[in-house]
Amino acid sequence: MSKIKKQRDYFDSVHIWGRIWSIGALLVLFSLPVAFSAYYDAWPNAKLVLEALLRLIPLYWLSSIIEVITFTPMLGAGGAYLSFVTGNITNLKLPCSLSAMEQAKVKANSEEGEVISTIAVASSAITTTIIIAVGVLLFNPFLPALRESEALKPAFSYVSSALFGALGASYLKKHWKISIFPVVVGIAVLFFVPSFGVSTLLFVTIVAAVGGALVMSKLKLVK
Amino acid sequence: MFDFSDFKESPLMYGLAALIIGFVVIESVFFLVKAWKRGKELGISTETLKNTVVSSALFSVAPAISILATVIVLASALGIVLPWIRLSVIGNLLYETSAANTMLDVLGSNINTEVTNPEDFSAIAWVMTVGISLGLVLVTIFGRFIIKKINKATTKSEKSSNIADIISASAFIGIISAFVAQAINGKSSDGSSDAGFMSIVTLVSAVVISLIFETLCQRFKLKKLEIFAMPLSIFGAMAVAVLLNMWLPAEITSFTWWG
Repeated sequence: MSKIKKQRDYFDSVHIWGRIWSIGALLVLFSLPVAFSAYYDAWPNAKLVLEALLRLIPLYWLSSIIEVITFTPMLGAGGAYLSFVTGNITNLKLPCSLSAMEQAKVKANSEEGEVISTIAVASSAITTTIIIAVGVLLFNPFLPALRESEALKPAFSYVSSALFGALGASYLKKHWKISIFPVVVGIAVLFFVPSFGVSTLLFVTIVAAVGGALVMSKLKLVK
Repeated sequence: MFDFSDFKESPLMYGLAALIIGFVVIESVFFLVKAWKRGKELGISTETLKNTVVSSALFSVAPAISILATVIVLASALGIVLPWIRLSVIGNLLYETSAANTMLDVLGSNINTEVTNPEDFSAIAWVMTVGISLGLVLVTIFGRFIIKKINKATTKSEKSSNIADIISASAFIGIISAFVAQAINGKSSDGSSDAGFMSIVTLVSAVVISLIFETLCQRFKLKKLEIFAMPLSIFGAMAVAVLLNMWLPAEITSFTWWG
């Protein structure tokens, strides 16, 4: 009984602190445009800002909603609060957390998974923040040369191919039966709508993967 | 080195960067310590916890450098500080680039032209901030509800717990599938990373290098190497891309399905 109570206490406290930090993050985040506009007395033309937001919002708010629904259960409470503050979820936090849980052999929906995911996301966030800060402060004078380096361009252009190839290799090998369908669905969707945003595509392939796996498990094709 | 007379890189901007980035680091440390303590209570070994920290940090190096590259790309129009802040908090590569591009487009400019007017800069900062905040607002309001609902649905019985395992494994595969499909057949918004020869070679290299590491680790029981396998595979694949780009003719390396 006390074990269950402790577990509940931990989850409750993660949710309470998660909300406090998230509200704090929103305040800190908005301090940037507010402070800049006030200091330079440079309040923007609201009509133009609205025009830009109207172009962005339908696409990005839809993907935000999909991200919150899809990723929150996979990241666990602590991992989710932290990921949505620190950003770069699909290209970094989520694969990092999944890889850590796989390595520690814990499940996403267990308390051990919650702990490992939170530690992974936090470590990833700290590392990324430090690398970017050091990169900006130390290499500021060399940055233009690095940016224009034709030799390094392919490395950065295809980083997500490298990342997901490395991450997916053993998983796809182990679960090849349920992997074929979502990959084919993803390729087919991109064939008809090549510029499909990654968040929307993720939603499609996740639904295809889960749906396909459940059907195969019903047909006893996978365990 | 630093041009403080430029409003984009003024002491105010650096001060805001310190505040925002400091906040993120402190929050991360807070949750790290909290989860570590709970992990110990749950009986997770210190070695597993340490390995999680080290492997996650190493895992993040290559993506972090690519985020840094985006900061640099955006810096020519916006100065270094705003992209730095935006990509350290909530931001993501795709969103920040399109948000900045959209506002610059509305202002009749583009990403390669330096913003010299504080009002325009302020408009871009507002658009980048407002547009990206929804996810955080939603997770603050509904995060608990979503997790509770999912946990309730998956812990009802042994059968539903088995289904939960299938769902979580296949959801992971769904994520990987999206990026694999993109590497095989995707088209990027700016045409810089369309799928074709290079994306497929990078993907295949990463898979092959990763499987070689997996075999080595299993055969020779190299526990320590396991932590480095993932980042080494990522960097290895990136190195293959750089080398092939240098050695092979441009007609081959620049080949994409989308012309």
